[in-house]
Amino acid sequence: MNDYKFTSDVVIGLEIHMEIDTKTKLFCACSTKAKEPNTSTCEICLGFPGSKPVLNKKVIDYAIRMGLATKSNIAKELVFSRKNYFYPDMSKNYQITQYELPICEKGKIELSSGKVVNLTRIHIEEDPASLVHPSGMSSSSYVLVDYNRSGRPLLEMVTEPELNSSEEARDFMKQLVNILQYLKIFDINEGIIKADVNISVKESGYKRVEIKNVSGFKEIERAVEYEIERQKEAVEKGEDIVLETRLWDSEKGITKHMRLKESESDYGYILDPDLVITDITSDWVKEVEENLPELPIERAKRYVKELKINGEDAKVLTLDYELSEFFDAVAKKVNPITAAKWVRRELPRVLNYNNLEFHDIKFTSDHFSDILELLEAKKITDNVAKKILERLCEKGDFDVKDYVKSEGLEAVADSGALEGIIKQVIDANPKAIEEYKGGKEQSLNFLVGQVMRQTRGAASAPEVIELIKKLVN
Amino acid sequence: MKISEYIKKVQNKEIDIVSYTKEVLEKIKKLNEEYDCLIEISEELALKQAEKISKDPKGKLAGVFVSVKDSICVKDVNSTGGSRILEGYKPPFNATAVQNCVDEGAIIIGKTSQDEFGFGAFSVNVGVEYKIPKNPIDKTRATGGSSGGAACITALADFPHISLGESTGGSIVNPGSFCGVLALCPTYGRVSRYGLIDYGNSLDKVGPIGKTAEDVAIGMETIASYDKKDSTSIDKEIPNYLEKLNSNINGMKIGLIKESLDSGTDKNVKDVFNKQIEFLKSKGAVVEEVSLKKAIDYGIAAYYVIGTSEASTNLAKYCGMRYGKEDELKGTFNEYFTNVRSKYLGDEAKRRIMLGTFTRTSGYRDAYYIKAMKIRTLIIDEYKKAFEKFDVLISPTTPMIAPRFDEIEKMTPLQHYMADVLTVGPNLAGLPHINIPIETETMPVGFMVTGNHFD
Repeated sequence: MNDYKFTSDVVIGLEIHMEIDTKTKLFCACSTKAKEPNTSTCEICLGFPGSKPVLNKKVIDYAIRMGLATKSNIAKELVFSRKNYFYPDMSKNYQITQYELPICEKGKIELSSGKVVNLTRIHIEEDPASLVHPSGMSSSSYVLVDYNRSGRPLLEMVTEPELNSSEEARDFMKQLVNILQYLKIFDINEGIIKADVNISVKESGYKRVEIKNVSGFKEIERAVEYEIERQKEAVEKGEDIVLETRLWDSEKGITKHMRLKESESDYGYILDPDLVITDITSDWVKEVEENLPELPIERAKRYVKELKINGEDAKVLTLDYELSEFFDAVAKKVNPITAAKWVRRELPRVLNYNNLEFHDIKFTSDHFSDILELLEAKKITDNVAKKILERLCEKGDFDVKDYVKSEGLEAVADSGALEGIIKQVIDANPKAIEEYKGGKEQSLNFLVGQVMRQTRGAASAPEVIELIKKLVN
Repeated sequence: MKISEYIKKVQNKEIDIVSYTKEVLEKIKKLNEEYDCLIEISEELALKQAEKISKDPKGKLAGVFVSVKDSICVKDVNSTGGSRILEGYKPPFNATAVQNCVDEGAIIIGKTSQDEFGFGAFSVNVGVEYKIPKNPIDKTRATGGSSGGAACITALADFPHISLGESTGGSIVNPGSFCGVLALCPTYGRVSRYGLIDYGNSLDKVGPIGKTAEDVAIGMETIASYDKKDSTSIDKEIPNYLEKLNSNINGMKIGLIKESLDSGTDKNVKDVFNKQIEFLKSKGAVVEEVSLKKAIDYGIAAYYVIGTSEASTNLAKYCGMRYGKEDELKGTFNEYFTNVRSKYLGDEAKRRIMLGTFTRTSGYRDAYYIKAMKIRTLIIDEYKKAFEKFDVLISPTTPMIAPRFDEIEKMTPLQHYMADVLTVGPNLAGLPHINIPIETETMPVGFMVTGNHFD
């Protein structure tokens, strides 16, 4: 990493810890899902004298998946080491991790801009227990230890310092979570993903500051933004940037000094002699590859081939795993081409307007397909459909079909009923009729607007225009 | 009575096992007062098992009394690795080797004394305020170590008995040699380490100690097993050790380790040993010299670097939080555990923690830990080459007879370590080796036979 010749304004590197979604822990049969403190522990994850770790091979499968999806070099051997330090969250006072030979090296992740970020390594390690400070970290007179987390599997990813803005850092995290979800190795609701962010700016001569334990895309963006400004301002004021580790205070939106980074800690690594060195054979990798869940590129191809939607739509829809899953569900119920159009175009428009992210929405794909089903059956118009969608974004969960009925939004497909309404409008607006007859097109628009108002958008505009023209003449 | 005859009698209900167990327990209590070979006598557990066997006398070891080195976990019985810091640790599980014995009808009588966590060759490096076991032949002498209590009680027992010892660098055969009993250290991976309180995990092995070859064979057959709970356990068919006891040695090719009879070995040991070689030759064995220079010259250094590197990480958990004695909560976490470890770990444990921490510290790691690992590979290669030519390798087990306590007091730590010079080789290479005692008019001498892996 020291060989880099930095030139950009800001240099960011990430170290990310991802909790991998397996049923059992890395070295024992305890469940990873327990919630009540200290209910999922055994002699192994508690480190009892005499107990020995036994590797959960599923974690290796998942790590290989990750390696394949990031085009990493996958190690030929699986080697675990002991990282030694005394800390109350570690029952053994060492952590089983990988040191000299990580399972993956030299991978890549592509940002949505197309920029490729290189990965130094990805390795497997066990999570320590969690420390619980009953009344906050600074004021608790004691600490509780919950060993449910002790021994849960983690992947740690280290990127090269190739990110150059807070937006890129955020986008990187987003792409990473996307890959994890496609690979089905991460539980988006329960899983924890945290980043340590290394940031330096040109003004300071790229003096590196680390921010510990930032979780969430928005948080990373905020923390990085703040830290860049802080460093630039400090340099401007003539202050020195020191090599240090800082903490992100999400509530106040600031980073705070935690400790100086005088030298790298010495963890006295040795090979873990309780675990044998295991060959990662090419057959093993091949088997994982054959069972790899569908990745974005294959999914896009499937959309084009099986669902007959156009290539561009397919590409956009598969970029985001959750959006793609949402589309899949909708496309099972309505015409996939209609589904693609609405999921790709209308949904993002409404979300944008409301300043929402896709994963913020409170309605399900069923709500969405209800709207499209009504639309396909011509029971509602495009306009009404858009309005219901907007309402769903604002209010969240309600029954679309009931709502359409109770609000009388059903399309006035019956032209007899529509004619009646139009006649009323014509009778009520003699002046506009005169003007229209005199050639004023705006007056026609006014009349259409009146009809739409009375039908609450439930009529189709072209049909209304046609009928007005017919009735007036 | 041969152990096999005794087992048959128990199985046929010809022995009142409950009252016999009571008798044996009384005996060992008396012996222990004199020799301090047991840290704990598991009377309750023994009687419970005796009751069970009296009703259902089944198993390969039906009614056999088994003592267990303190570092091997016995469920609900204090298992402290001979260390004060673990005082009161009652594991909620049996070590696999112990479980195998219990399943075969053995009666566990107690935990044998040892050097703290296995750190020694004389069982004098016992835990803080623990007692030092005395040699069964001469109480002014050491039992050897670190499985000293195990060899001692084995020599003293006049009842059917097997002891489970543990060896990292020679801790089974060394006390076997000093106390004059048969002691077998199996191939690494043959007996599960599950439930063994770790010293150097890549070196630790559990093995049987007995008075006769039959005792050891029957013990070995019981404890050997493939165990999924120990990743280093090896899935390989277990031979019938008993059947092999009367094998002929006519034509057997024996390699005499040349360096083992160099100046470092006492003259009296050499003399007794050489007489045995003549005996072997008279039985038709072909004895030739073989040089194992790397094992003898670099074995000690490599062993102490690897062993202490691993040990210093294993012992980190004894900090007074989850494991290790609790003490007054004072100061920071670092201050707290420093105080606990200072108070409850013995001098040799501290020495090895410091040594092992140093040898893996960055800057020194390559020069010590990594280099020692490389030497270990070279030593394995050297043995493998010797086994291309020889069926077994022989040497004295220890370069001396059991030393007196006053002699030990004068030794430097390095002289202590040199007691392992002949045993660290097979231990580093994970090779099976056995101590065969040779009786003399004074103290016994150990005759060590080393075999190829799984022989």
